[in-house]
Amino acid sequence: MGGLWRPVLRTAAGCGWCWSHPGSPTWVAERVQPYLRVGRNGTGSDETGLRWIGTWRRPNPARDLALQPPRRPKSTNPFTRAQEEDWRRRNKTVLTYVAAAAVGMLGASYAAVPLYRLYCQTTGLGGSAVAGHVSDQIENMVPVKDRIIKVTFNADVHASLQWNFRPQQTEIYVVPGETALAFYKAKNPTDKPVIGISTYNVVPFEAGQYFNKIQCFCFEEQRLNPQEEVDMPVFFYIDPEFAEDPRMVNVDLITLSYTFFEAKEGQKLPLPGYN
Amino acid sequence: MSTAMNFGSKSFQPRPPDKGSFPLDHFGECKSFKEKFMKCLRDNRFENALCRSESKDYLECRMERQLMAQEPLEKLGFGDLMDGKPGAETTS
Repeated sequence: MGGLWRPVLRTAAGCGWCWSHPGSPTWVAERVQPYLRVGRNGTGSDETGLRWIGTWRRPNPARDLALQPPRRPKSTNPFTRAQEEDWRRRNKTVLTYVAAAAVGMLGASYAAVPLYRLYCQTTGLGGSAVAGHVSDQIENMVPVKDRIIKVTFNADVHASLQWNFRPQQTEIYVVPGETALAFYKAKNPTDKPVIGISTYNVVPFEAGQYFNKIQCFCFEEQRLNPQEEVDMPVFFYIDPEFAEDPRMVNVDLITLSYTFFEAKEGQKLPLPGYN
Repeated sequence: MSTAMNFGSKSFQPRPPDKGSFPLDHFGECKSFKEKFMKCLRDNRFENALCRSESKDYLECRMERQLMAQEPLEKLGFGDLMDGKPGAETTS
């Protein structure tokens, strides 16, 4: 006979006396049977039915639910569940605060650069020049006569610059608080005008902060015509506070070194202090 | 420029001069004053304190020839020489 053959699965297990509980093997079958569908086409329906039975899978009740909760509390005990929810909320708050602190630190590190510059300008710390004090300081400073310092001079030229650049005195003896004049000489032996620009260096480095130049020839372009020789003066003084610095007790020799470079057309050099 | 790459140790910071840069003396207008100063240094074993009047003369020459900004010499540390008193100035 054709037509549908609907197997009766209710008693498929064949043992009516087995009751269903989670432990028994028939429990799953009892739960599954409403979900099993038998093929409705005529031929081979019984085979598909049998195939269905042979290949069923353990169902996932959660999958069939339309809405799944985002998080399941780990404990099923209702008393501890509330506590867990509370902990979760507190963790989230702490995490928010920590993230805000991290972002705040990052912002502060960016803001620190202009703020520090402002602070240095107002208080004069860190070596940046405070305008207006210098000429009064020179006028009122008192030479410290018992501390004689030898200042030696050095002159260097970059390899591509063909000037003859040398100091006109090898050394000079000064005391802190006294202004002094020194000369360098530069000659351009080539047939073309050459523009040079120089920078300086003071050794030892710690003494360099006391070495103040009133006027010199550095950091500005200096043009020498062909076969021209000029005198280049340096007018400087050593700060009287040099004598009171305990780290400078053993310093008796300061070396001032100038280096000339060739200045190219249109080249903009970064000048120290001129921000 | 400092070439010591020590992290943490103080490095040298070049600073611009207080009153800027000297214009070059292309025509050697103050050369004679400079020669006098250098001679004084060589005679006095390069002691600056003994040649301060010669350096004052050199700077005055520069100021007259527009090779240096005009400035009262007291502000350049020659206050004691202006009064005519040799030696150290009195403390205030």
